[in-house]
Amino acid sequence: MEIVLKLLNNYYYFVAMVLFVIGFHTMLTHSNLIKKIIGMNIMDTSIFLFFVAIGYVRGGRAPIIQEGAGYQYINPLPSALILTGIVVAVSVTAYALSLISKLYAHYGTVDADEIALIRAREER
Amino acid sequence: MAIHVPVLLIVILLGASYSVPLLDRYRKNLAFPLTIASLSAVFVFSLYLIFLVGRKGPFFYHLGGWPPPWGIELSVDFLAVYMLMVLSSIGLLVMIYGAKDLRHELKKEVLSWYYTLYLLLIGSMMGIALTNDLFNMFVFIEISAIASCGIISIKEDRRCLEASIKYLILSVLGSGCVLLAVAMIYMVTGNLNFVYIAAELPAALALYPFNILIALSLFIVGLGVKSALFPLHVWLPDAHSSAPSPSSAVLSGLVIKIYAFALIKLLFRVFPPQIYAAVPVLDIILFLSVLAVLVGSIFAMVQDDIKRMLAYSSIAQIGYVFMGIGLFGDRALSGGLLHIFNHAMMKSMLFMAAGLIIYATGIRRIKDLKGIGVRMPWTMGAFTVGALSMVGIPGTSGFISKWYLALGALDLGRPFYVAIILLSSLLNGIYYFPIVIDAFFGTKVEPRSEHRDVPALMLVPVLILAAGVVIFGFFPGPLLNLIEKAMTR
Repeated sequence: MEIVLKLLNNYYYFVAMVLFVIGFHTMLTHSNLIKKIIGMNIMDTSIFLFFVAIGYVRGGRAPIIQEGAGYQYINPLPSALILTGIVVAVSVTAYALSLISKLYAHYGTVDADEIALIRAREER
Repeated sequence: MAIHVPVLLIVILLGASYSVPLLDRYRKNLAFPLTIASLSAVFVFSLYLIFLVGRKGPFFYHLGGWPPPWGIELSVDFLAVYMLMVLSSIGLLVMIYGAKDLRHELKKEVLSWYYTLYLLLIGSMMGIALTNDLFNMFVFIEISAIASCGIISIKEDRRCLEASIKYLILSVLGSGCVLLAVAMIYMVTGNLNFVYIAAELPAALALYPFNILIALSLFIVGLGVKSALFPLHVWLPDAHSSAPSPSSAVLSGLVIKIYAFALIKLLFRVFPPQIYAAVPVLDIILFLSVLAVLVGSIFAMVQDDIKRMLAYSSIAQIGYVFMGIGLFGDRALSGGLLHIFNHAMMKSMLFMAAGLIIYATGIRRIKDLKGIGVRMPWTMGAFTVGALSMVGIPGTSGFISKWYLALGALDLGRPFYVAIILLSSLLNGIYYFPIVIDAFFGTKVEPRSEHRDVPALMLVPVLILAAGVVIFGFFPGPLLNLIEKAMTR
């Protein structure tokens, strides 16, 4: 019972972890390269969600300091870090997609298993 | 000026990497000299840093003048300057070798982009070696992941593309794990600076043990994937064998080591030692490293492509570095650290020698290499030195690092690992020596196939590295001195 309450209180961490596992699983098990990239993005996004959630303070406001107002502010550092993380994820995604389109031009498929089969046939 | 040298190392390389393609639009022939100039400048600077740290002791550099916990901090200590020396020297030599080889392997239009990626890769690795900040480390890891995939896929043939997408996907998986681990650490300590985290972690360990354990395992998995620790090595053989030869040399020689180095930094500088008494992470690393040194060699034996064989041999050799980590003793870790440099020299030399053979004759299959030693005596001479060093014959640098690993294992009362080191050395001999023997003594009536003369510019780096292997095999003193200081901080 206690663990359920803890999970409910921190449901964003829980959701982030579930998304992480979904992304991880998609990335490793699907043979379609586009789906792998989608999985990669789900995984990255779940980490971003997790990271940003760390900085959240319940009832806090955006950290634009107003002197003497006595507000509570959320921690801006994780959000700032995650902006960098998003940029990295976008560039990796763009690079991966361009690689996939090149692969499609060479092999005529975006399925990793089929590509492996074609390569095995070539090498024989 | 002098005080800004640490950040200049990274700034020069990143700046040069972006100006190369710009320059290339106006002055075609300036791109390569600029690349070499920036790499040489970085080499000189890292030698200067060794001198500086040796005289004045380790120091910290604050980026933009912001002290931690707000700003990013670079830590210039013996460990970092040792790695900088490895990166800059091998990086420069491989690029000199690449001058001619790349023109042969790549299309003209992408040549300057190769320099960009290469400089970016070396710069980001220098960043990983220097940084004292977790998130900064993650950013550098991502840069080097993209750049190292880039220098494979730039060849744009079918094998390279497939290898690089495989590498990219697993690499991104690894950096995802690292980022999640960073989040876990930040969650319980509220800091990203290594020194501050190290101060907070013992107290946090009592309060939130699960976060820290998850972070530790994620770091090991994430960096393990990237440095091709045994069961996570599946991307390596394709990636390292299909890439252009300079890329293979730098990927096998430097890129997989820098992640092992980052792991060493995290395990020894950040995580509290009592965590290793509570959970058997080090034993797991040790077990995997034993599997790596044995299985990597066994896989290497059955390969018939020379670059693929060298790639599998890298899996075995990175096992020694991880064995040094797993044994967790001062001498064993010295052996592991020393092996980072020795293997960087040996493996980049072997890849370059293989590249020379491919450049001159187009032969990739090991079976066709019979009698090649007569035609290319210098290249195969260097290859022989590398092979001897891989096996660990006394008088070569490979012997010293294995000797230290073995002594370290004995210090800790674990003679089993000495036996493993011996066994794996024998296995190395099984697949390296036949190539050497066949090359010099195998007589095969060679149908006079295409034969291109090897330019001296390509041969010189290979010979310098071969000389280095022998010199550091006889006089390992200065290196050991540096590493000893790195161990005591």
